[in-house]
Formats: sequence, C-alpha cells, structure tokens
Amino acid sequence: MFRYQSLEDCPLDEDEDAFQTLGEEDEDIDQFNDDTFGAGAIDDDWQEAHERLAELEDKPATARELEDGAVSDEMELLGHHEENLAERLSKLVIENELEDPAIMQAVQTQPPMQQPGGLNSSIWDGSAVLRRFRGPLLTQEMPSVSVLEYAMPQRPPQSQEDDRDLSERALPRRSSSPIIGSPPVRAVPIGTPPKQATVPNFNQQILCPKPVHIRAPMQQRYPSPYGERMSPNQLCNVPAGRMSPSQFARVSGLVCSPLTSMNPKLLQGRVGQMMPPASRFRAFFGAPPPPAPPPSQQQHPLCPGSHLQNLRPHPQVFRPDTTHLHPQHRRLLHQRQQQNRTQHRSLNGSAGDRAGHRSSHHEQLRKDPYANLMLQREKDWVSKIQMMQLQSTDPYLDDFYYQNYFQKLEKVSAAEEMHGDGPKKERTKLITPQVAKLEHAYKPVQFEGSLGKLTVSSVNNPRKMIDAVVTSRSEDDETKEKQVRDKRRQTLVTIEKTYSLLLDVEDYERRYLLSLEGERPALMEERKQKICDMYDNLRGKTPGQERPSDDHFVQIMCIRKGKRMVARILPFLSTEQAADILMATARNLPFLIKKDAQDEVLLCLLRPFSLVLYHLPSGTVTSLLQQLANLPQSATVPAPANLHLAAVLQNKFGLSLLYLVLSRGEELQNSSAAVELMQDNQWTELMSMATRELLRIPEAALAKPVSTPSNLLSLFSRYVDQQKLNVLETKLQLVQGIR
Amino acid sequence: MGVSPPPQPFSRQLFYSFFKSLVGKDVVVELKNDLSICGTLHSVDQYLNIKLTDISVTDPEKYPHIGRLSVKNCFIRGSVVRYVQLPADEVDTQLLQDAARKEALQQKQ
Repeated sequence: MFRYQSLEDCPLDEDEDAFQTLGEEDEDIDQFNDDTFGAGAIDDDWQEAHERLAELEDKPATARELEDGAVSDEMELLGHHEENLAERLSKLVIENELEDPAIMQAVQTQPPMQQPGGLNSSIWDGSAVLRRFRGPLLTQEMPSVSVLEYAMPQRPPQSQEDDRDLSERALPRRSSSPIIGSPPVRAVPIGTPPKQATVPNFNQQILCPKPVHIRAPMQQRYPSPYGERMSPNQLCNVPAGRMSPSQFARVSGLVCSPLTSMNPKLLQGRVGQMMPPASRFRAFFGAPPPPAPPPSQQQHPLCPGSHLQNLRPHPQVFRPDTTHLHPQHRRLLHQRQQQNRTQHRSLNGSAGDRAGHRSSHHEQLRKDPYANLMLQREKDWVSKIQMMQLQSTDPYLDDFYYQNYFQKLEKVSAAEEMHGDGPKKERTKLITPQVAKLEHAYKPVQFEGSLGKLTVSSVNNPRKMIDAVVTSRSEDDETKEKQVRDKRRQTLVTIEKTYSLLLDVEDYERRYLLSLEGERPALMEERKQKICDMYDNLRGKTPGQERPSDDHFVQIMCIRKGKRMVARILPFLSTEQAADILMATARNLPFLIKKDAQDEVLLCLLRPFSLVLYHLPSGTVTSLLQQLANLPQSATVPAPANLHLAAVLQNKFGLSLLYLVLSRGEELQNSSAAVELMQDNQWTELMSMATRELLRIPEAALAKPVSTPSNLLSLFSRYVDQQKLNVLETKLQLVQGIR
Repeated sequence: MGVSPPPQPFSRQLFYSFFKSLVGKDVVVELKNDLSICGTLHSVDQYLNIKLTDISVTDPEKYPHIGRLSVKNCFIRGSVVRYVQLPADEVDTQLLQDAARKEALQQKQ
C-alpha cells in the first residue's frame, strides 16, 4: 500500500496523484468504516444496550399477571427448545447415580420413575418432569428465561423493539458455533442482565445492579426448588414461618427464594416429590415440606411486618442438605434452632421499625437482575457433579471423624440416660450409602501428532519436582545431643508404628462383624499377632529371655502421646503382659513423674491400670507394691525415709496408684484368697513401710488423689494402732465426713 | 455415557469430615486478607467453602459496611481461609489424631 519507501521519496509534484489515490483509499476506508461502525455493523453497541436497560428500570412492573393462553404457547415453545437443548446437553451427560439418595437430595428435579426409553436415564431427564409439571403450575408460575435459550419466540403483543431486544440478548447455540471449541459469540456481553420489562413472561425487572457490598458475597444463587417461577407477589406472600426474622431481614433478593420452598400450592404440583432444596442455606431456614403437603393449605398474604410475628414452630425441621446428617447431629442442631427462635421471638417488639424496610426490600426482590441466569436443571447438574465427587467407597474411612464423633456423643448421652430413667431415645445410626469402587486409571492428556507426552502434573498424577537424596550421617559427627535427638526420633517412630497397629486392632471388632464366617479365624489370628507386635514394640524386642532394661518402655513413657497410647493398648494386652507394664511403670515411677511434670498426662493411665489391677492375683499385687516402694525382693533394712515412695506419694498419680494397689490388696484380704496375703510377710512389711511413710510425710506435701477408696481405713486398722490410725484418718481424709 | 468425576482425594476428606461435625457451632474465620468473621457455621463442602450465619466482624470493625447491617449470612470460598478458630470442647483431639493417622496410612498405600 505504501508505494514510497520513505517520506523523502515522496515527490512533491506528485501531490495531486497522491491525493487522488488517497482519495480512492478514502472511499475504501469509508466503506470499511461503514462496515465496522456504521449501518453495516451487525454488532450492537453494548453501551447503547446498557442505556436501554437503564431506561427500563423505571418502567413499572406491568408484567405481573399472567396471560394463560399466551403463556401456554410460550411454554410449549419453550418445551420444544428445551428438548433440543436436552439433546445437545445429553452429550454432556454424567453417569447417572440415581440410586444415591445423597445426590438426589441435592437436586430439585426428580426424574420420573418410569423411563420411556427404559435405558439408563441421563441427568437431564429432569426436563421431562419439568415439562410434565408445567401444566398444574401454569397458574402460578412464570417461566424464567435462561441465558441458554435463544431466539425466543415472539409473542404477538410485543413491539418491534422487543423483538430486537430478544434477539440481541440471545446467545447463539453452542454447537452451531462455526469454530468448534471457540466460545459462543455474544451479542451482548456476558453478565449483562437480561432485558425483560415489557415482556410479561419475564417476571423480573432489571435494575442496574447496585454496588451494594452485601450483594457481592451473595451473588451465588441459591436454587429454589421451583426455579423462581413464582410471581413476585407470591414470593412476598409466602409465609415466612420458618425463618428467624432477624436472620433474613436484609438479605436482598434472596429472602423469597427460601420462601418458595414452603409454598404449598407448588408442592402439590410436584407429585410425590419430596425434594428438599439443594441449598443448605435455604434448607436451614426454609425447611422443606413434609412429604404429603396438605392441599388445603392456603397461602395467606402477609403484611411485611408480620414476617416476624408469624413464626410457626415446625415439628420436624428437616434439614436436607447435600450430606446426611447424623441423627444426633440433627437433634443438636434442631435444639439450637429452637433456642434461636425463642430468642428472636422475644425480640419481636423491635420488629416494628423493620416493617418500613421491608417494602423497599420487596422492591429489590423483584428487580434482581441476576436471577434466573441458570435453569434449575443446570443448577442440578452442577450440584450433581459436586455430590458425585463425594460418593465414597468406604464411608467409614472417608468420613471417619464425623461418624465416630457422633457415635461417641451418642454413647455418652445414652450412658447418661441409663443412669436416669432409661434410654429414651432410640439409638440411631447413620447409614451412609456406599458405592462400589471404580478404577480410575488416570491417563494424562495426549495430543495427537505431538512428539512425546506432555508434562502435566495434577493431584492425581503428581510429578517428582525435587531430587532429594537421603544422606546418612556419619557416626563420628554425632554429638551427644544428636544422639539424644536420634533416640527420641526413633522412639517417636516406634510410637507411630505402634499406633497404627493399635488403630488396626481397635478396628477389628467392626471388621469382624462385617466379615464372613470363614474369614473370622484368620482375622482373630491377625489381631493376636498385632497385639503381640504392639507389646514387643512397647517393651523393646529383646531376643533374650530377660528383659534387662525398661529403657525402651521408659522412653516411650516420657513422651505424651506414648503415655496415651499405652493407656489405650492396655485393655488389649493379656494379664501377664499388662502386669508387666504395670510393674515397669511402678519401678520407674519417680522418673516418670519427673518427666511428666509438664504434660501431666499420667493420670490417663489410672483407669486402665485399675482395670488391670482387678485381675491381678495377690502375689502380683504384692510385688507391685514392692515396686512402688522400691524395695528389692529380699528384705532390707528400711531406710529412714524412702525417697522412692515419698516421691510417689507427693504425686497425684502416684498416690492414686498406691491407693488403688492398697485397695486391691484389702479386697484380696477380704476375699477367700485373703489367707495367703495375711501370711505373706512381705505384704505386712510393705504395709508397715507404707503407713510409716504416710505418717511421716507432712500433710501439705501429700498429693490429692483422684479418689480415695473406701476400704483403706479397714486396711490400715490392721497394721497400726488406734492412735496412728486416727492420725492417718485425718491426714488422708479417709472418712467421708471429714471432707 | 459420560465420565463421572473422580472421587475426592483423601487429604480433603479429613477436614471436610471434621468441619461437618462442627456445623452449628460458632467459629471465627480469619481470611487471608486479614479479615476476621465470627459466625455460626452453617455448612461446609468438600472444598471447605464455608457458609456462616449471624456473622459479625470481630475486634476492630474496620469494615463497617458489614457491621451496620443487622443479621447477615455469608459464603466464604475455601481457598481464602487462613484460619478457623474453633471452640475447644467441640473437638475430640484424640479422634482427630486417629483420623489423621488413618489417612496417612491410606495415602501410603
């Protein structure tokens, strides 16, 4: 186009020619201009469109009343379009998981029970339902416009301008886009609110979206079960009984969506459909319907202020959400809701001033520009995708915390009730549907014709990012600290391994119940083996017969989670093994006490210890006491002060343990095996030692035990005279009355 | 037939399960933009998106436009949450530890 290389080349005397050629070019340019900007342009100026929208804002909402005849035409055409749409969208079908109640709860449209085709239904089958139900709902509903619907058939009363509006507003079909994969060309930019006002079948007016902060977080449309097809009048009139008034006082545009769920007339139309709203939000406050809504229920128009006064307590606040709630959880929530409701009810006096806000509020409701951007089925489709991801092959594992937490709660509450009148509530179980595991062989994306594979890394296909090489430290470099640290680390690793075993063992009961008869012996064997492994881990595996050192065990006991783990393991161990543990603990008690000063978690061991003690024979009990007092097997001259015992006495755990041992001894004495114990010199010696120490220790230094067994008094009475007995009594508060 | 979406990875399910048990409790959510919102946990999903009801901005009300309105509900996208402060007695730490251990075991397999 440029004939001249540079400006210098342009000869001045050729100006005329140049201008002429330029003139020719100008003509071309003009034509181009026209095509781009002028009359030839097909594209609409979005700014212009926007201004038109602004004008529409002021037009009154004349489109309230439905014209049934026109609407039904409309509906049929809509249905026609929906069918085409459905065909197209069926290509996007997701494997239908209709059997899963969790998923189906998330969607509003329920596919009909009988499939015409008889094949697996697609998730888009909801449309058939929609169409079918349109009949009875016609009198109440207005169709909403979906951005996917285009080239809406024009209704006769519409003006020419509206025709143009609609065509501009519509989107071209996805699949008809000439370039496959390119985004659909939009005449109107995405996000422009639909223009509606003059068309009666659009039930909402456009309001230029207000820059209200509160709107921003609430752009998410909570899908209502009936697709916002109610007229705004109806929306406002639906009783708001289930909502706490203060909670939805200012929620713009969304107050009435929850209310739609309670419209009983709509419920009638949905035969056999007990579909709670997908949105938990609305569900929480909108509490969907009982399965058979009484047809006689009339919606009575409420004045705005009466929103607050008309709080109907609902007997069953069904909380339908996308997950199953454990019955216990549901009960707790229900209680909580009721509490809130009573609170709010008492605040009704202050509700009067809110009435004024309500009218403007309703205005906003009608003019929500972002309503109905998606069809209900589209929302359902998205919900289904999300819900399908949550299908689990093993709900026990996947949802471990939740299920176990509420099981525990129930046990606790059941236990409490047992003490009272007896179990009032049934023990309800949470049953989560389980899905067979599908093998998802992840294949990384490949393009045809490309050389090699793309390096795409994702959650399912992680790539190695760093080449980390493990270097082992040489022995020479180790300092004492490092050794200590390593030892501690090793202990930690041992604890974790043992914990895994423990969790497995705890799980066996459940597995046992689930397994077949033939598998059970094998399971038992496994369990036993694991218990042995655990014990070995605890005590440190020594090939020799003796267990020379408690070192390993003590190391474990120095760590807080180690102690807790031992407490949990003890019930699974055999009596000898448990006694062994007990001995080791008693032997090293002062050391452990010192180490436990920070954690104070030794007390968790008391309960399992006491359980073990219950099973111990007298000989063991004696040796246990010996350990506590730190006396070697052979009798020695007792030292003036037994430091070991003293330390034990000064610690809560130690003292409690001592009491338990003594109490057990006393029990044994009273039982048939008492004769042995009485004759046991060791026992007598130990007892005198113990009493001596107890007497010696100042009361202030004595720890407070967890509980003082009642038979101690009779125990001491055997070994000390009356005077000392009295001293002991007061010191240890052995008699109930003293406290 | 269409393709079904793959199940959630284990690492997500622990926290989802945990937060589910906290539904209905009062929590304080601190976001990555330093905003702290106190409210009742209404619901949570597998992405840990949180819906709160009865919200209020804790401590200094630097965001008065939220503070002025009476009762509010909000939706918080999971990825913007920095912390969630919980009531201590609603949490069973031992169970949580067990759940974490189980999950670690599963991931190794």
